[in-house]
Amino acid sequence: MIGGTLFLEMFTASLAMWWVIIPAIFIGLIVGAIPGFSAANTIIILLPLTLAVDVEVGLVFMVALYCSSRMGAGVPAILVNIPGTAGAAATPLDGYPMAKQGKGSQALAMSFVASVAGGLITTLIAVLTLPWLAKVGYVMHSVEMIVVMLFGISLIATIAAKDTLKGLIAGFFGLMIGAIGADHIYATPRGTFGFLELYDGIPLIPALVGLFAVSEAFVFIENRSILSEEGRARMKVRGWGQTIEGAIMALKRWWHVVWTSLIGLLIGVVPGAGASIASFVAYQQSKTFSKTPELYGTGHPEGLIAPEAANNGVTAGTLIPLLVLGIPGGATAAIMLVVLQFHGVQMGPRLFMSSPEIAYGMIMAMFVTYIFMVFTVLPLSRYLSQVTMVSTVYMAPVVLAFTLVGSFVPREYMFDMYLALAFGLIGYVARKTGYHVSAILIGVILGPLLEAYFLRALRISQGDLTVLFSSTLGNVLWVLLVISICIPYVAEWRRKRAREATSTATQES
Amino acid sequence: MADDPREEPSRAVGGDLVLPIAAVAFTAYYFWSIWNSPWEAQVAAFLIGSILLFLIAIYLVRTLREVLTGRANLGLGPLIGPSWITPRRLVLLGLTLGYVIGLDWLGFTLTSFLFLFLGMVTLSEARGDVRKFFHYGITAAILSLAGWLLFIVAFDTRFPAGPFERVMDAMFGL
Repeated sequence: MIGGTLFLEMFTASLAMWWVIIPAIFIGLIVGAIPGFSAANTIIILLPLTLAVDVEVGLVFMVALYCSSRMGAGVPAILVNIPGTAGAAATPLDGYPMAKQGKGSQALAMSFVASVAGGLITTLIAVLTLPWLAKVGYVMHSVEMIVVMLFGISLIATIAAKDTLKGLIAGFFGLMIGAIGADHIYATPRGTFGFLELYDGIPLIPALVGLFAVSEAFVFIENRSILSEEGRARMKVRGWGQTIEGAIMALKRWWHVVWTSLIGLLIGVVPGAGASIASFVAYQQSKTFSKTPELYGTGHPEGLIAPEAANNGVTAGTLIPLLVLGIPGGATAAIMLVVLQFHGVQMGPRLFMSSPEIAYGMIMAMFVTYIFMVFTVLPLSRYLSQVTMVSTVYMAPVVLAFTLVGSFVPREYMFDMYLALAFGLIGYVARKTGYHVSAILIGVILGPLLEAYFLRALRISQGDLTVLFSSTLGNVLWVLLVISICIPYVAEWRRKRAREATSTATQES
Repeated sequence: MADDPREEPSRAVGGDLVLPIAAVAFTAYYFWSIWNSPWEAQVAAFLIGSILLFLIAIYLVRTLREVLTGRANLGLGPLIGPSWITPRRLVLLGLTLGYVIGLDWLGFTLTSFLFLFLGMVTLSEARGDVRKFFHYGITAAILSLAGWLLFIVAFDTRFPAGPFERVMDAMFGL
């Protein structure tokens, strides 16, 4: 465990890097907010810079950019229903309804505070429990990951509460679309319509852009503004009231921030698992254990806090396998590994003895970045929320143009822009006819991951399905999954009985 | 309007059937594409596809029952409407398709400018208002130049180069 003196030294050293952290925060916010751009590809672009400077400076820059890009992805998700990355795909479920009600500033402040608090808590836990957390990666095998995926996928049924059948159709249609691409073992092309570009599966950014941005743009042109009448009136009230209120609302729900960010941390520790899984699982769990589940999807603060705290919890988690095992937990961590190796730093357990200033310094840089974000990003929420006041005459063409080109960026295929348009049509039909686009997206994101883990488990067991119930941790997770699926139904049944009892008592009296 | 105030008006459900029908068509195509594949390539798809087809079958039965009892009709309902926006929506769709195709020919900056300007004009209420159109032109120019600076100059994205990008490259090496 880290000593107090080293902790203080690392903290002051990171604070002294403010001149690196602050620009990185703003770059991260911008790249996180534009679909298609991410911390990973921005760091690649800036690789010559990070390789040229001292290893400590380069690392702090990358870590700060990584943290703030996670937060930036939530901004368009809240304001215009367009998640900047797949990790923010659960954010608009409650963030966008708040923006439409004219509470954009409040929602942004709430999201920023939840992100910062979630990031700070998980970073602190990470720094104190590094050796133990690293073991999580060892115990989470294919079977356990299948159950974790199912936690996320069960959100399909949760968000489809209004019409379960339609929600399930949308979710399974998404899973079917997610199964497009060569199979994981023999590389047999499946459902690719003969397009080579689909052999690697459905790329996430075009799916995200199409289902959320393109479809939304074609729907919101029906009104002059994305704001409701009530929302327009609320937005005319100037001042910091909403921002402060949003920050206080997030702080009052501190326990919610703590446990949902811990979900993010634990999922982030598993190499290959990502922020999208964490945010879906956190949202699903938040709704399951809520006393007011019926408010989710209508602009409920807890529905916004849960995914934002969780996806920032992932940020700290992703660094743990990199530092302790030398295994990058995601694309950004993999690039950090390249930079560290270029500077002659060998990752793995020895790092904590040979270069503790780098090992703990990375996590401390994250901690300090989150502190800086309170002062740099939180005040922006009041001004950023003004985006919702822009007329849809301007908004729709801008959203279409800049998100469609965003779908080109990750792979640089023109095909991906056409794919985004195709997803846009699917999303438009879904929105107009009451199918939930988020349910389709959950299927597209989690489907291929679930299949990969499922096939891996089957290969290991030589086709024996009982492998799914062969580990103690896996079985515990199965039980928890069943409980979390049953809880909403049991709670609803109890509420119904209570209502009936109350009405009977009223009639009798 | 129904004569009897207690009677619910018939609900248009034709639009609701578009996605399930597309899903059935896609699932059938997917099954066909893996018919002769090894079982590892089939297992997950057959499992998911079968559940999807089962859910759609239940949905179709439910819808058919509603149609037969007069509670629903096969009209497209909200899918295309409201009618006043439909022509603009179709023009915007055409412009969007033109934007993707045009990127290959005119490059990012010029195509974005044209798309943004024509998109704003299409959605605008201000018919024949020259000042408003000038405002749209300026906004489109600023946004497309900002996009060029951000995507191409700052982030070095390899969009297809058009006349504008070539001139900037030749003049300033950007």
